Amino acid sequence: MRNKYGYWIYQTAWWGIYAAIGLAVNVANGGSLRLLTFSHILFFAYSLGLSHLFRKVIEWRRSRRPTFVQMRLFLGGGVLVISLIQTILVISIDTVLNAGQASSWTLGAAGALWYGMYIGTLIWTVIYTRVAERRIQEERETHMQQAVHTAELRALEAQINPHFLFNSLNSIRGLVVENPQKAQDMITRFAALLRYNLNRDRQHTVPLSQEAEVVEDYLALEAVRFEGRLRVQFTVDPAAESLQVPPMILQALVENALKHGIAKRPEGGDVSIHATAENGALVLQVENTGEFAPVRPTRDGDTQIGLNNIRERLRLLYGDRASLSLKNGDGVVAATVRIPITA
Amino acid sequence: MKAVIIDDERLARAELRRILAAHPEIEIAGEASNGDQALALVAQTSPDLLFLDVQMPGLTGFDVLERLEDIPQVIFTTAYDQYAIKAFEVNALDYLLKPIAPARLASALAKVRPSTGSGRLERVFVRDGEHCWIVLLADIVLLESDGNYTRVYFNGHRPLIRRSLNALEAQLDPAIFFRANRQEILNLKWIDKVDLGVSGGLVATLKNGRTVEMSRRQSGRLREILSL
Repeated sequence: MRNKYGYWIYQTAWWGIYAAIGLAVNVANGGSLRLLTFSHILFFAYSLGLSHLFRKVIEWRRSRRPTFVQMRLFLGGGVLVISLIQTILVISIDTVLNAGQASSWTLGAAGALWYGMYIGTLIWTVIYTRVAERRIQEERETHMQQAVHTAELRALEAQINPHFLFNSLNSIRGLVVENPQKAQDMITRFAALLRYNLNRDRQHTVPLSQEAEVVEDYLALEAVRFEGRLRVQFTVDPAAESLQVPPMILQALVENALKHGIAKRPEGGDVSIHATAENGALVLQVENTGEFAPVRPTRDGDTQIGLNNIRERLRLLYGDRASLSLKNGDGVVAATVRIPITA
Repeated sequence: MKAVIIDDERLARAELRRILAAHPEIEIAGEASNGDQALALVAQTSPDLLFLDVQMPGLTGFDVLERLEDIPQVIFTTAYDQYAIKAFEVNALDYLLKPIAPARLASALAKVRPSTGSGRLERVFVRDGEHCWIVLLADIVLLESDGNYTRVYFNGHRPLIRRSLNALEAQLDPAIFFRANRQEILNLKWIDKVDLGVSGGLVATLKNGRTVEMSRRQSGRLREILSL
């Protein structure tokens, strides 16, 4: 909008000033004010029209993706053509207006006129192209930043951990013999979890109730693997159920808790999950048995990757309005995510 | 052939046991659900073959191997190929991805060789930073003492292991490994040529290009061995 407006101001100002200067010079040289005013208003009008037409042609040419040199040659040619048309129009109109009098246009005067027109149109074109090209560049950069932003977010949107995936399939394979009914249930849950991950409709957030269902499925599958080693408490405040969360964010917190609180401890442990709404924020808290060991480099390099990933997603989606904090004490590690409540 | 199954998941162990039922030559001597249990089980049953899960609570599969003196043949089992490359690097017999395909298990078992039963060390586990190897003794060119540690030269690598040269010597086959001097034990099969050194002792040039000087006493012994 602003750009379009700016363009017309520029158009009017440039040709207005150009015509006004021409008028002043001609009047000073002793011409008829009435006739000169008329011819310069006409000049203003057709120059504006011609340059506007030129702009359309430039845009058309640019849409054909010319090289830099091609575009410069095209612009130079355009300036030449337009200034010639302007010169012819000026001379023709002058001749018509001064009908009956002997034409005072020598070749030298016409050349000087054309030179003036050429310079005027050239400057118009240079300024216009500069501004237009900078705007295109800016648009391209913004577009690219958005694409990068979206790609970052997509990359961070936790995919199912392949380790979990294959271990679960292996457990289910075992269950098929031991407890066929339970195996059926697990296959259904597994399908639900996969579906949630595969067709998320390019949405960046989902209702918490939907996320909670998937976390239930995830926990049921992990319970098959960990058996008695995993003990879970899971509560969702009914007021929080409809609030929006980034998909797989609670799941990622729970997975992280299981990795540190259960998988690494031969005796297993407890995981408690609470979702509440308070003070305009959705609070997701996941606690697990264990000690939080800061930056302990492990061979598989998994330390903190899960949590950093969550942090980065929150930052991309909510800026500094969301947070992830870790607390450690009394043999319990608590991870808390705060997400602003959005409509 | 005796095998043990080491995996933290009961269902995974049960599943492996079920598909192993098709291979009656494999006798399952026991199961362990974590590294410590595994160490006790191996000490107690001296199996020929380990089915070893890589990711376990407490000690990982690699930690278990590092703590075993003599390494049986190892087939890794893992849910995801994250460790597959590492398993190859350690020169494991094979690795199986869970869920395990019965045909894949059969081809892994086809690589199992009956142990010599000599009671001698056949393989050692070596870890050097991020790299792990299960080294067949036949591949070892030279063992070099480095304080309480021993540097092992094989296939162009030369990592340290946490055992003294003297402790290792007691477990080596004297028909293959020869004590050259206080510092070094060489593999006779890797000797390229033997020359007389300036100090009167013998100097062996190994196939990897390294030269080893025998002590005076050992020069005599080497002469005996080589003339035979």
